[in-house]
Amino acid sequence: MARRLKHLDEPDVPSNSFTYFVREAIRRIWSSKRASFVAVSMMTISLLILGIFLLVAENLDRAVEQWQGKTRVNLYFEPEATGEEIAAVDAFLADSAELSRRTLVSPEQALVRFRTYFASVSDLVQQLDDNPFPASFEIDVDPKFVATAAFDTQMATLRKLQGVEQVQFDWDWLARLKRLVHVINLIGLIAGGILAVAAAFTIANVIRLTMMLYREEIDIMRLVGATERIIRGPFLVEGFVQGTIGGVAAVVLLFAGFVAAREALEPSRSLLWGFLFTTFLPWQKIAALIGCGTLAGWFGSWLSVRERNEE
Amino acid sequence: MIHFYHVTKKFDRYSTALQDVTCHIDKGEFVFLTGASGAGKSTLLKLILRQIQPSEGQIVVNGRNLNAMKPSQLPFFRREIGMVFQDFKLIERMTVFENLSFIMTVLNVPAREQKKKAYSALRAVNLHHKLNSYPLQLSGGEQQRVAIARALINDPLVLVGDEPTGNLDPDLSAEILQIFSDANLRGSTVLLATHDRDLIRSSGRRVLTLDHGRLLDERVATPERPAQRGESLFGIASS
Repeated sequence: MARRLKHLDEPDVPSNSFTYFVREAIRRIWSSKRASFVAVSMMTISLLILGIFLLVAENLDRAVEQWQGKTRVNLYFEPEATGEEIAAVDAFLADSAELSRRTLVSPEQALVRFRTYFASVSDLVQQLDDNPFPASFEIDVDPKFVATAAFDTQMATLRKLQGVEQVQFDWDWLARLKRLVHVINLIGLIAGGILAVAAAFTIANVIRLTMMLYREEIDIMRLVGATERIIRGPFLVEGFVQGTIGGVAAVVLLFAGFVAAREALEPSRSLLWGFLFTTFLPWQKIAALIGCGTLAGWFGSWLSVRERNEE
Repeated sequence: MIHFYHVTKKFDRYSTALQDVTCHIDKGEFVFLTGASGAGKSTLLKLILRQIQPSEGQIVVNGRNLNAMKPSQLPFFRREIGMVFQDFKLIERMTVFENLSFIMTVLNVPAREQKKKAYSALRAVNLHHKLNSYPLQLSGGEQQRVAIARALINDPLVLVGDEPTGNLDPDLSAEILQIFSDANLRGSTVLLATHDRDLIRSSGRRVLTLDHGRLLDERVATPERPAQRGESLFGIASS
């Protein structure tokens, strides 16, 4: 059926309040775009800082987990250890179910490995008369066994065997690294949290400013019988939207930075830094980061609209 | 419909806007409220809308005691009252249609109904052809008619005007008064604050006169004969 009054169809108005809230919020953000840009930027920077800490901690944590999965004991013989002494140690390891996965590395094999891994300094070794590397055993151990008292007893016994100079297992530094991961996470949370609160207050101020700009409209709305929900709704959505945009922008920038850093510090070029940029944040942490922005934005807007300004 | 019982409003120790005002406006009445500037007209209207609360006394509007009204009840109470202001209070960034539909959105009227209601309200004030104009593109009289359409759109029980003809020339004032009279005929109780003596004289309506916050008298205005001009302050005769 043809519409009778065409001009009435042009200015459409949403029939439900949620559409009205969202439309008004977006319009208000646009109308005060400079202030909104500052608020969103603050939120982005705060969450980006939090995200960088989370990303570094995530990769460190992953690396620690990987290294922990390869629980290996290195047993080094004295340079003058005899073949019988090495055979005795081998027999001891073979008898133990937990230590039987072993590889004997001869001094020659150790030298070849060194020359392969540290080619730039291999000349140093060539200047020496003798091969400085002793024979050793690499023993792969079940990570669960490492935590038992039996493991400590076995290690103590190994150290006392003839010809054995050193028994190394480096889980202490892994534990220290794990603690470092916790510290990085904590610093990130504290720094990001403080900045996010600051960003929430910026959003609160921007919304106060918008409320002042719309004061006349708010007065009119109150006089014609608008409920506080209808009046405050668009401002709450405004903070919500600003916070969410800040969160999404932080994730996008973090990902762009991650890709750039991974390319710049790929593992072959830098063993030390490469492992810090192997994987991006899991989706749960991405969602949490955006959620933080949304929550901080909503909190900021709630701060500014909670006072009833009428009387 | 509107009852004031010994209402006093003080803004501070030295400033009394209304002093012991008692008056009653019945359902379906059309009443003028008059008095010089600062007499308390706007204060009285603000009390009716409960923009402010009385320092003493009781106010009952549409059967509701405003003194006992909770803030959460206020929006629903105000939806029964249409308010027209001297400065129109239209939103300049919105078109005429949007100024009306904005109010209906606030009142949660469905979109389809909004269009119908806006059109018929604008038709009632003969501005249905200005739907897409912005307030600043309209004359003062047209802007005031939009403001009246907005006040009437929710079929208010009470229509209150605060100097709605204050910025208009006599011809336009008569036109605006006619719109208020039509609303009154459709069942709205009308209270119109004005100090336009000619408008009051020509109306033949009941008049409440305020002076320095006190209700001086309640009279019925009678169309003036030339000989009566200047006989009394507002040219109205005792009832």
